[in-house]
This record gives sequence, structure tokens and C-alpha cells, in this order.
Amino acid sequence: MRIRSAWRAALAAGAALVMLSACAGAGGSAGTSGGGGKTLEIWHAYAGQKDKVEFIEYALDTFKKAHPDIKVKEVSAEQSSYKTKLQTAMASGNAPDVFYTLPGGYLKAFVDSGQVLRLDDELAKQGWRDSFLESSLPSVTFGGSTYAVPIDIDAALVWYNKALFDAKGWQVPTTWPEFLDLAEKIKSAGVVPVALGNKDSWPATFWFQYAEMRMHGSGVMSGFGAGDKNATFGPEAKDAAGVLQTLAQKGYLPKGANGMSDAEANILFLNGKAAMVLNGTWQIGMSAEAPAGFELGYFPFPTFVQGRGNQSDVLAGVAASFAVSQKAKDKEAALAFLRHITSPEVMTKYVQIRKTMVARKGATTPEAAGPLLAGVVQDVIGKADTLDPFYDTAMAPKTTETYYSTLQGLIDGSIPPAAAADAIENAAKAGK
Amino acid sequence: MSTSTRSRAVRRDARAALLFLAPAVLFLAAFVAYPLLTAGVLSFHSWDGVSPRQWTGLANYERLLGDRIFWGSLRNNILVALTAIVFQVGVGMVIAYWLVRVVPRIKRFAMFLYVVPVVISEICIGLLWGFVYNPYFGLLNGFLNAVGLDELARGWLGDRSTAMPAVLVVMNLTYLGLYILLFVAAFENVDKAVYDAAAIDGAGHYRTFFSVSVPMVWSNVQATTLLAVVSSFKTFSLVYVLTRGGPNNATDVVSTYLFQTGFGNFEAGYASTIGFVQILLTAAVGVFVLGLMRRGKRGAA
Repeated sequence: MRIRSAWRAALAAGAALVMLSACAGAGGSAGTSGGGGKTLEIWHAYAGQKDKVEFIEYALDTFKKAHPDIKVKEVSAEQSSYKTKLQTAMASGNAPDVFYTLPGGYLKAFVDSGQVLRLDDELAKQGWRDSFLESSLPSVTFGGSTYAVPIDIDAALVWYNKALFDAKGWQVPTTWPEFLDLAEKIKSAGVVPVALGNKDSWPATFWFQYAEMRMHGSGVMSGFGAGDKNATFGPEAKDAAGVLQTLAQKGYLPKGANGMSDAEANILFLNGKAAMVLNGTWQIGMSAEAPAGFELGYFPFPTFVQGRGNQSDVLAGVAASFAVSQKAKDKEAALAFLRHITSPEVMTKYVQIRKTMVARKGATTPEAAGPLLAGVVQDVIGKADTLDPFYDTAMAPKTTETYYSTLQGLIDGSIPPAAAADAIENAAKAGK
Repeated sequence: MSTSTRSRAVRRDARAALLFLAPAVLFLAAFVAYPLLTAGVLSFHSWDGVSPRQWTGLANYERLLGDRIFWGSLRNNILVALTAIVFQVGVGMVIAYWLVRVVPRIKRFAMFLYVVPVVISEICIGLLWGFVYNPYFGLLNGFLNAVGLDELARGWLGDRSTAMPAVLVVMNLTYLGLYILLFVAAFENVDKAVYDAAAIDGAGHYRTFFSVSVPMVWSNVQATTLLAVVSSFKTFSLVYVLTRGGPNNATDVVSTYLFQTGFGNFEAGYASTIGFVQILLTAAVGVFVLGLMRRGKRGAA
């Protein structure tokens, strides 16, 4: 009996040790490039979400049907683990033939190390380049050459609970002072004005960037990215940082916003416990499972009357793109896939399924997009002078990290706006 | 004659021993020694994981010395270790004693309850506790509001002042069961006659615990303390799931910071430096703890 219980304890301890050591070594197994013949290895991050899976299955199935001679090997992962997985594969020189990639800084690292195929010649054929929205190409173009084809475009704007607004008689604001007045009203009604779940750090970036765009102007981060020595967030960065801190200090954000996930914040929003959220166009999809009676409304980010920036600009950027490895054995097949996934047919299907805007001209049709997205495209994006891409994807990875933790510090009050502005400016200058 | 046969026999035995050891040695070499050495070499480089690496000498180590986030995360690791010694080893010992000596009838059932969190994956535990701590629909604030302590309700994981304590509570509650299990087994192996003798001498539970039970299982105390300290220094998943090391690095431990540096910032060189220092620190602390306890034992004897 005693011996047995000692054994049991030892076994349990052993099992526990195994679990305790579940530590940092994440990195998935790098896939080997396909054998002989026409094998095409395609990596993508469309896993884990029903609509994404549905889209990629459609794209791959139709591709296989159109090219029966090409054997496709598909490797998929969920977005956050995918980034690590691709990075690991690239580092070990096992890049897949075709791969999904974030645009901007993430892709640039691979381009700089010479692992990504230049697409310029191919894009010049049959007007392929011209089939993309002009504003979507800079984030996949480095040093004058394009290295990936953009898929979808996300735009950030303010979403609100229409039923709740109607019931309480709240008016949609157009200027920043109006927005603050409204937030105060909402707060005194016992509702959280802004659903912000900033555990993953990116949700807060929209506030800082929009405030910066309105007060200083668009294109700052693109300037840093291009190595422009005069690029700066300007003296307005302090005020932009102040906008975020004001929201936090006035109690317009949820309690413990920094510890709340984006999904948790969305639960508050969909259940009427929070009235507004500044989020990407994917909020349409995220609102699909709202309780009955919920109606999603939207308005452009409020204007800053004295701001130097163009007050109609929209924070929007390419969310995902596809690229071909320099080492791809069968480049023809790889390029054929890129052409296929950006074809009007596949892209319209994408809009139908995901209700977000695509980079292919003419594919975001009102029929496919549905009334909400069609409205956003027409009323907000269509009226924009410039689409300013998301700072955090344009930044070098390390700069992004500083940017993220600085904004968390603004929310919890541990960093004053002036220090935050300096930290972000210096990190952007240091980032390549 | 006999010497030569013996030496031949010894040589044969040695060859057999080598053969039997080979798989383990190869395994260790491939999966422990090689990565360790690589990390050691990398720690003197600057490398983004993709482009060619650059030798930077001691630059990474200099940076580490001045890295506020690293020292903050190390401080958090030390907090984890200290609370683990008190609330996992210490409290675990007391509860195990209580189960074995005071309420043996409910021992099995109680142990089952204590061990449940140990066998559930840390990711699930973290997600569940995330919902307990949720400021709006979480159990904790719900409870506080229900009993009229509304002022205490807050965003536990998002508030700088409460985030780390909240993480520590989860860690200690999760692994308490493991130590109870280990000490129940240890206490059961203590000869009953010793307890009888203590009882005859008029020792109560307090006296029996400190003067009989603990000294009798001192080697287990050593081993478990070491286990607690070492696992505290490499803890990762619970922190990652609960807070991602935030807000603003307030709950980062060395492992989460290492992960962030290597796989978030793509600074493989600096991440290796952190990892290498982490291994050295863990080993040093382990040796220190063992030495301390050996002296404690001699002092007690």
C-alpha cells in the first residue's frame, strides 16, 4: 500500500514535471519542399476561423480543378502561431513555395534577406498590376519592387450599438468634443462608452494613430519605413497620446482594459454593456453572433477641428498578402496560384464570405459585400483622401513592441503622454 | 594472469556500459547539449532569425545589464519562487499532514480535488481564470458585488497593481495539489511507531508536525523545494495566457520576455542571451537552495 502510493506520487510528479517544462520552444516543424514533379507547397494562416477556412478551401479547390497537373501541399496554421512558424522556416532556409504573409515590416525582413521572389515582371503582364487598388501596393513594395500580391484591406472606424443609441436618444458625433460629450453621457447611463480589450495590444493603436492622423497628418510611418530622415510624429504625438490617456482616465474604457482580450471586449459590446468600439471592418463578422435586436452602426473617426491632418483620411491597410519564395522549384506554378487567388472570381467569393474589402479592383461589389460593408466602402473609405496603413504592421518588429507596451502604459497611467510620444518617436527612428 | 583477465573483463563491461548508455547520451547531446551550445554562441551575435548573423561580442550582455524589463521579469520570477516555497511547499506540507494525521478518512477524496488542476493543461487553467478575473462578467467581481464589497471590484489582470498578485494566486493554487500529493506520500512512509512515541511524550499536532514529521521527510522537503524553485524560474504558459506579460510588462517573467524578444521582436541573438542567463541563474539558484537546506538540516540535527 505504502509502496503503491509512493509510486503513484512519483508518477504524478513525473507527469507534472513534463507539464511544468512546457516552455518557450514554440516553432513548428518546418515542412520539406515537395519532391520531384509539379508539387506546390502553400502555407497560409487561414485556420481556426470558419469564414477564413471556407475561403481558402474554395481558393484551393478551384485552383486544383484548373491545374490538375499541379500537386498542392497545403500547410495551415492559426494567425499568431503562423507568424512564428513562417519565421522559423525562413530562418532555417526551408521557405515554402508560396506563402501567406503580413505586409509591411514583417515581409520586409524576408525581402531584405533575399528570400522572396520579385514580382515586377509578372505583374506587368496582362495588366495584373493595374487590377489592384493603387493604395494597396505600397505596403508590399520595397525599394521600388513589389514582392507580394495584396489580398484584403481592413479599415478601422467607429462601430456603435444602434439599438442602444436609438433607445437612449444618443446622437452620432462628428467632432472630437462631441465624442467626449457623448462618452460622458454614456458613462453616466451606466454603460461603458468604448469597448477596448487591449491585452493583445493592437486595439489601442487605432486610437493613437487616428488621433495622430487627424492632428498631424497621414503618411508618417511610411516616411519612417522609407528611411526619410525628416520623418517624425511631430509635436502632435504628445496630444495623440493624450487622447488615449484621456479616455482611460475619464473612465471611458472598460475596467482593466489592458488585461481584457479583444473577444471579451466584443462580448461587452454585443451585449449592450459597451456602446462603441473602434475596430476594423472585421467587426461586421464579429457582430454576426450578436443577440437578437442588436444592430451595428458605424461612423467615421471624429474630426479634430484645429488638426493639421486631412479630417477625412481613413486608417486602413492591407491585412494579408501572398508571396513566392526565391527558392520555389516551380515558379510558374507558384505564380499561377497567385494569379488565381487574386482573380475576380476568388476575390468576390472572399468578400461574400468574410464581408471585408479586397485589394482587387471591382471585386468588393455591393451584392457580395452586403449593405454594411458596401456602406462603409462608399461613405467612409470612398471619401478618404488617403488610406494610412496600420502603424504596427509597417513598423519593424521591435518598434512595434515598444509601441504596444507604451500604449498599455498610457492606459494604465504609468507613462505620461510626453514620455510616450518620445518613446514611440525614438523607437520608430531606431527601427529599420 | 588474473589481472589481465580482470582488466579484459572490465574493458568488456565498459564497452557494454557504453553501448547501453549511448542512446541516452546521444539524445542528450542532440536535444540538450547542442541547443545549449548554439544558444551560447548565438548570445554573442545579433541575429533577426533570417539575415546573416553578426558577431557583436558582449553587446547583448551589456544590454541585458541595463534592461529594465529583464530585471523586472526576473523580479517576478523571484516572486513566483518565494510564493511557491511558502504557498506550495509550506502550505502543501501542512495540508498533507492534516490529511494524513487528522482526517485520513477524507484523504482520498480531498487529494482528488487538489490534484485536478495539476492534471489540467495550463492553457485551460489560464483561460478559466481569465473568466474568473473578467471585470464585467467574472466570478470574482460578481462575488464582491454580491457581498457588498463593490469598491474592491476591479479589472484584476489589467490593473498594474493587481495583475502580478492575480497571476501568483493562479500559479500557487494550480500547483498546490502537486505538493500535497508528494507530501502525503512522504508522510505515509514515516513509521507509525515514531508518531506513537511522540504521542506518548505528549506532543500535540503542532509539536509533532515540526519535530517529527518535517525532520523525518527532510529529504523530500529539499527535493520539492528545488522542484518548486526550478519550475518557478521557467514558468511560462500561465502568464502568457493570462496577461501576455502585460500590462506594459508588469507581469513578464523571464520566459515570456524571452519569447517576446525572440519570436515577437525577432531578436534571436538577444533572446539567446536571455535564455542563457536564465539557465545559469536557475542552476545557481538551485545549487544555492540545496546548499541552504543542507545547512538547515545540519543545524536542525
